[in-house]
Amino acid sequence: MTLQMSWGLLLPALIPVAAMVLVLVVDAIIPSARLAAPVIGALGLAVGAAAAIPGVVASDPRLTLCTPAPDGRCMWDGGPLASTLQIAALLATLAVLALASVHRAGVIDVVLLLASAAGAAGVVASRDLGTWLVTLELATLPVIALVAWRDRRAAAHGALTLLTTSLVSFALLVLGTALWVTATGDPTLTGPSLATAWAVPEQRTLAGLATVVLLAGLAFKLSAVPFHAWTPTTFTAGPLPVSALLASASKLAAVGALIVVLAPYDAVVGMARGPHVVVAALVILTVASMLAGTVMALRQTEVVRLLAWSTVAQAGWILLPLTALSVAGRQAAAVYAVVYAVASLVAFAAVRAIHGPQVEDRRDLTAYRGLLRRDPIAGGTLALALLVLAGLPPGVIGLVAKVVALRPAIAAGLWPVAVAAVVAAVLGIAVYVRWFAVLFGEADERAPARPGSRRASLGVAAVGAAVLIVTSALPQLLVGLVT
Amino acid sequence: MALILTFLVPGVVGLWLVTGGRALTTGAARAVALVAAVVGAAAAVVAVVSRPAVDRAWIPDLGVRWHFEVDGISAPLIILTAVIGVLVVAHAWVEQPWAGPTQTGSAATYLGALLLVETGALATFAARDAILFFIAFEIVLVPMWLLISRYGDRHNPAARADASARFILYTAVGSTLMLVGILVLVTQAGTADLDALPAAAARLTLHQQTLIAALLTIGLAVKVPVFPLHTWLPAAHTTAPTAGSVLLAAVLLKLGTYGLVRLPMMTVPDGFARIAPVLAVAGVIGILWGGLICLVERDLKRLIAFSSVAHMGFVVLGLASGTTTGLQAALIGNIAHGVIAALLFVVVGGLKHRWGSVDLTVVRPALREVSPRLGFAMILGLAAGLGLPGLAGFWGEFVALLGAWNPAHHTGILRTGVVIAAVGAVLAAGYSLRVARLVWVGDAVADDAPHRAADARGAELAVISTLVLAVVIIGVAPQVVFSVTADAAALVGGAR
Repeated sequence: MTLQMSWGLLLPALIPVAAMVLVLVVDAIIPSARLAAPVIGALGLAVGAAAAIPGVVASDPRLTLCTPAPDGRCMWDGGPLASTLQIAALLATLAVLALASVHRAGVIDVVLLLASAAGAAGVVASRDLGTWLVTLELATLPVIALVAWRDRRAAAHGALTLLTTSLVSFALLVLGTALWVTATGDPTLTGPSLATAWAVPEQRTLAGLATVVLLAGLAFKLSAVPFHAWTPTTFTAGPLPVSALLASASKLAAVGALIVVLAPYDAVVGMARGPHVVVAALVILTVASMLAGTVMALRQTEVVRLLAWSTVAQAGWILLPLTALSVAGRQAAAVYAVVYAVASLVAFAAVRAIHGPQVEDRRDLTAYRGLLRRDPIAGGTLALALLVLAGLPPGVIGLVAKVVALRPAIAAGLWPVAVAAVVAAVLGIAVYVRWFAVLFGEADERAPARPGSRRASLGVAAVGAAVLIVTSALPQLLVGLVT
Repeated sequence: MALILTFLVPGVVGLWLVTGGRALTTGAARAVALVAAVVGAAAAVVAVVSRPAVDRAWIPDLGVRWHFEVDGISAPLIILTAVIGVLVVAHAWVEQPWAGPTQTGSAATYLGALLLVETGALATFAARDAILFFIAFEIVLVPMWLLISRYGDRHNPAARADASARFILYTAVGSTLMLVGILVLVTQAGTADLDALPAAAARLTLHQQTLIAALLTIGLAVKVPVFPLHTWLPAAHTTAPTAGSVLLAAVLLKLGTYGLVRLPMMTVPDGFARIAPVLAVAGVIGILWGGLICLVERDLKRLIAFSSVAHMGFVVLGLASGTTTGLQAALIGNIAHGVIAALLFVVVGGLKHRWGSVDLTVVRPALREVSPRLGFAMILGLAAGLGLPGLAGFWGEFVALLGAWNPAHHTGILRTGVVIAAVGAVLAAGYSLRVARLVWVGDAVADDAPHRAADARGAELAVISTLVLAVVIIGVAPQVVFSVTADAAALVGGAR
């Protein structure tokens, strides 16, 4: 069997892999060059993101790894949606590398980050179950090692939680993949073969079951309720940059993977027996995540735990447009995920800039009192990130993202989801305004001392805040990327 | 260009004051803010006279356009907002909420928040795209929250936290419901352009129209506020600094009524007509409820807040009548309430500043003796509030009752409402006289009593005189407003 192949489309995933190999080779030849690994890693991520730019502007189909016609199937799609997620995931990983600080990031950290980035770039573009499964695991498994890498007991505990979760998730994904192939007889995720299978009652049941099992597996990675239990433990236990990675690049990879799985359903939506079971599963995940995540976030006083629960709530918002099972819904999910990833990266970077590397102690809300006056850059970027997450102007892009996310669900007439979204939006404002309110006022003399080296964290926060400000003024820059 | 400058100047200066300009001295910040507010107001006047339109693509993929325009419905509100914007900034020379014994906020942040509220309101009144309208509507939330929570009643931090949280959460519930309504409307009608929506939405079934109208009306009713969704307002008014109260009463509440006209009434008139009786009943209950509470309320600021609920009840009743007369009444009632409530809050805020509290049970010397100017302004405001002919409040209430007596539909319910609302107007006379007796007539107190209040002078006198003048002008010559709104009101689908 010959494969039609165009290397240019694969570059966003291949460049990080090449950089990873290069890092290992350089380390083997010149072990003393400590700066080489982070520099090569950063270059690899940046060039990989640059390689995905043509996919955003291109209007023609960008399919590759295709089997020969007549019934040719393509296993890779570098279209605008995938390219946007690739750019976002690679740049988010770059930001995490900067947060981990160039001087402290060892070869292992860089290699693991690059592997995870390559996996994320691959999974969003994959169109067959094999590539999809392997790249998805490539995106997530290195993160477990990153959590465990620092030898703290809590970190090991967090890593163990994440490992257990990942194993369950992996088992579900493998099972789902197998069921999918059994149902459709096709290892690629394409609409026509799913539609053919859907027409036969037995195969329809099997295909529905396959999708629900795949959804469950992905819900772990997305930290959607009820598969979220690992999130607060792992976020608080691991190093802060890794938590930022889990909240940004990993989330983008999971959303991309979910979009790939749901895309074939376009062909099924119009059929006599619609995919009700899939919609029901998505609605349950959405409503449960939005409400449970927000309510739990409302009670937290430890900021990273608060951010962890907010991740759970925002996972619900990311799932919200997907319940419509439409193209617009998938694009909306991608837009929302990118906005969320940038805002949460800014929040994590600001937290990092305020507490320094020793982040485990006193990350309480009270430590942020008067931050705006005490530390205007970290405080200002954090305030903006919180407003974007809450969806309140001047964080207009957060509000636009909420509009974008609600629209497909409302167009599809999914009222329960819309009602839950109204409740979650209001409670969400309470969550973030609670933190936002603390930033004002008098500085506390018991506030943590300003850490020494924090330029990289402030830089990440400032660049992320600049992205949020520019897209708030011109939301089309972001919304237009995916269409 | 003038239209964009109207809200861009206060907006940019406001944003700069809360971020980069926080370190400005009080004097510099006040001067900068005043210049911005005056430039914005001048641009607003130019925009209202020349009626320019700005229409550019903003988020093409969502079909959202950067579309601003002024018409007869929004013109009076834009002028009101711009003038109130200048007055609240000028009031910063009188009351300095940033300088307190327990809190030392920055003057620049306070003034910036005032300007940002103004910006959001102006952008909302001018927006001609449903989603742009929603985004502009949300702009006022954070700055107003800041004004209440940071610069509110300095004696009571718990009340500040409670009032500000209540304000932002209640209004967020309202605006999110409104967003759902807007999205249903926009996805089903296929356009977000407010000018094209009435025609596009006419295709929808009555059921769909009713659903959309209900969502939009409930959402906006929180902001108006309509009984029973009003419970955030008294807390917010009591706690907010004087300028914040003025902005709340004169600008923020108007966003709600303006939204009711612009969205459900104009785009889905048939659906709105179906829920109008419920709205009318809620408005009438608000009139009675507010009036009854005002008869016994001890805190003067809270009393004015409840009287706002009653006044907005008249506005809502006018809207619910579904007639052009009722709509005209609602529009002028809106403006009249804006000026009257602003005047009363400036006076009462000044009293609270002087006395430390405005508890009506405390025996104080007669206001007419110790500070005759403040006393006169208060009496005038109360008289206008109870709807005395010749003053601004008369037109809104009288014409609203007139419009609701001959409604387009549900005559029985609305006529009953008119009768009850007339009783409510009597209650207004009752509580106004009560306040006048307690505060203006006062009580004989020894000359060396500590409760002596200096009279209004300087900036405070200027602010009060402007508002007094507005109350009298609108009262004597209501055609200045009627003539602007008449043409536009005739075109509103929900009024016939």
